[in-house]
Amino acid sequence: MATEVHNLQELRRSASLATKIFIQRDYSDGTICQFQTKFPPELDGRIERQLFEETVKTLNGFYAEAEKIGGSSYLEGCLACATAYFIFLCMETHYEKVLKKITRYIQEQNEKIFAPRGLLLTDPVERGMRVVSIYEDRCSSGSSSSGSSSSASGSSSGGGGGAGSR
Amino acid sequence: MPAESGKRFKPSKYVPVSAAAIFLVGATTLFFAFTCPGLSRYVSPAVPIYNAIVFLFVLANFSMATFMDPGIFPRAEEDEDKEDDFRAPLYKTVEIKGIQVRMKWCATCRFYRPPRCSHCSVCDNCVEEFDHHCPWVNNCIGRRNYRYFFLFLLSLTVHIMGVFGFGLLYVLSHVEELSGVCTAVTMAVMCVAGLFFIPVAGLTGFHVVLVARGRTTNEQVTGKFRGGVNPFTNGCCNNVSRVLCSSPAPRYLGRPKKEKTIVIRPPFLRPEVSDGQITVKIMDNGIQGELRRTKSKGSLEITESQSADAEPPPPPKPDLSRYTGLRTHLNLAANEDSSLLSKDSPPTPTMYKYRPGYSSSSTSAAMPHSSSAKLSRGDSLKEPTSIAESSRHPSYRSEPSLEPESFRSPTFGKSFHFDPLSSGSRSSSLKSAQGTGFELGQLQSIRSEGTTSTSYKSLANQTRNGSLSYDSLLTPSDSPDFESVQAGPEPDTPLGYTSPFLSARLAQQREAERHPHLVPTGPAHQEPSPVRYDNLSRHIVASLQEREKLLRQSPPLPGREEEPGLGDSGIQSTPGSGHAPRTSSSSDDSKRSPLGKTPLGRPAVPRFGKPDGLRGRGLGSPESGPTAPYLGRSMSYSSQKAQPGVSETEEVALQPLLTPKDEVQLKTAYSKSNGQPKSIGSASPGPGQPPLSSPTRGGVKKVSGVGGTTYEISV
Repeated sequence: MATEVHNLQELRRSASLATKIFIQRDYSDGTICQFQTKFPPELDGRIERQLFEETVKTLNGFYAEAEKIGGSSYLEGCLACATAYFIFLCMETHYEKVLKKITRYIQEQNEKIFAPRGLLLTDPVERGMRVVSIYEDRCSSGSSSSGSSSSASGSSSGGGGGAGSR
Repeated sequence: MPAESGKRFKPSKYVPVSAAAIFLVGATTLFFAFTCPGLSRYVSPAVPIYNAIVFLFVLANFSMATFMDPGIFPRAEEDEDKEDDFRAPLYKTVEIKGIQVRMKWCATCRFYRPPRCSHCSVCDNCVEEFDHHCPWVNNCIGRRNYRYFFLFLLSLTVHIMGVFGFGLLYVLSHVEELSGVCTAVTMAVMCVAGLFFIPVAGLTGFHVVLVARGRTTNEQVTGKFRGGVNPFTNGCCNNVSRVLCSSPAPRYLGRPKKEKTIVIRPPFLRPEVSDGQITVKIMDNGIQGELRRTKSKGSLEITESQSADAEPPPPPKPDLSRYTGLRTHLNLAANEDSSLLSKDSPPTPTMYKYRPGYSSSSTSAAMPHSSSAKLSRGDSLKEPTSIAESSRHPSYRSEPSLEPESFRSPTFGKSFHFDPLSSGSRSSSLKSAQGTGFELGQLQSIRSEGTTSTSYKSLANQTRNGSLSYDSLLTPSDSPDFESVQAGPEPDTPLGYTSPFLSARLAQQREAERHPHLVPTGPAHQEPSPVRYDNLSRHIVASLQEREKLLRQSPPLPGREEEPGLGDSGIQSTPGSGHAPRTSSSSDDSKRSPLGKTPLGRPAVPRFGKPDGLRGRGLGSPESGPTAPYLGRSMSYSSQKAQPGVSETEEVALQPLLTPKDEVQLKTAYSKSNGQPKSIGSASPGPGQPPLSSPTRGGVKKVSGVGGTTYEISV
């Protein structure tokens, strides 16, 4: 039983080995940042629906918290004004703090849930928060149904060992 | 020479910002140097302090507006746009609070611009919530720095008023020495301040109104919400608080990327899936898969439609590249299509109305029209019906990338209109392109793809010739401005798809008009049924099913033309039972592969026979003349096929052909069925139910297509 260490960046670079599934933004409520919770069919068979939806909903919750207009954000703005925005050199904004939380959350989800299924969730901020991309490891999908979206017939390298081909 | 490579250094673009900076700093410095000492003596020392604070505020906001990233989107990576950018539609519609908003494809940045995003030609970037490009700060004003720009305007107005006011006070208190240096300088400063006050105050007032209304300058100037409802407003107070009190948005460029490592250990978890579910994924092309997985059509349909919406909706692959030949198609299609299709991300849920369950209904209905291969055989009569059915298949409706309003499938209307008119001209080109006999269909599909509701991205650079031709065909009435159209439910369009080109809508209307005219052409034809977009696929499926039944019931006759669905099935071949998903998926601009149909066609319809004889048939029954306005594609198949005993392989071959065309074909099929005379309906085989309406007799216009096939188009 081999343990493959997948470097996320490496997986992303080796696009030829990965199928990408994109989860689009949900603009039904305006320009607030939220993603569609609809289960993509390509993931059918790769991950349970509940897990996926829960992940996306949590992400949406984080973004809602980041964009929340409340007392804290107002005070932050006043402080910034008062210091002629020099405070931004020392302190990070509320939004950035939440983004860091999101990054940690995504990392954790990848480790616990997605990576064991041969999937990789990317941080949407890298793409301008337009889309959440899920990288699907073809090599590890050998045991899955043939109809998987990875489609690559060669992907069925069989078992977990195939993942080491990368 | 600094301008040789990369961006040219244009000093001209720095002139306004330099001038603004010089005037601002210079005038204020003079004010502080010459006026403030006297003021502090005569009035109060607080005056210079107050002015200093305001000036500092102006400078800070000016600097932030100038140097801050306005919210530039990074260019999309290649993997986001797997398809050629000239295949996907130019616009994608999304519903925001009940209002349809168009998202345009940005050819430079290679993604569909989010709402309120615009591409700045000066900066050559897409900017989030683009307001305008301000030359005075030499920067775009967007989501991140709009607040600073607004505050800059406010503070500058206050500053100008203060300078002018205090300067006036100084001058009035030193009237006796007007020729003195201080007074003269103060008067000069007052002149500059007074001169700049009018435009600055005007701009400030303008932006105050914009902020209160929740609009950007871009939206205001382009009149997007003129007379309409702005979906981005949350009320005056919320708008103001959002501008001033929200946390500054993060920048997207220049973010540090950390390398993260994840340990992936086998065994990999896989949720339990049934075979049926699994098969669904193979979208077009998997002819083999299709055959076996008829059951999963429904799910296939669903999945197809959902995954249709990719970030850049890959254009329906069915383009020329796919039609290298039946064989190649067969070989390539499966992998290509499935992979392509699978890569599509789920469509925006709000963008289209997905209608599940077609597979079940369509499967039954399609029985009589099965044996898509028949189409290729030249069962022109049958073909149209099956095609109509398939085109009406609800799966088409779930075309996410198209504007959801009454236009189900962009290609429906478009291709539909094209077929009859351009068949002649296109046939030759098509022929040269491929030689498989689909030429016409292909061309049409290509055209339809291009002119799909929203011209493809490639056409963005062009003038959307496709649509223009549409317009000429249809009543050139409306302008495709759907941006702020209320997303009211269209009574006659189950799909909330609106094509940016109203021609599609017209096409649809025309179809509706034509429906009543459809009349079964032969005894074997099924009773006429109005051809509608939404029912198209169902009809096609029904025709396919009927064909299958016929095949089983009686030995396949070579010249048998009672399979109206042949033609249709040929085209729609994919849809077959459960093809619905295919069509729906194909609805998505990128890919709608009619793979689903293939399974239906499995029962091998050897009905095609008499390719020659049937060529002119279009959709009618054998005895009926070439009346059926058959979908050009199917006809071409049949005529080319000329194999009376069309075997399953032929059907299969057809199907792969179809699939590549996928949305295009389907669309054309749909459009055909819709726009074309319901001759398609007549194509349905005699026995079994006549799900498709037969081609109408009255007002039928015959257009000859490739291979001698004639299409009847009900006028």
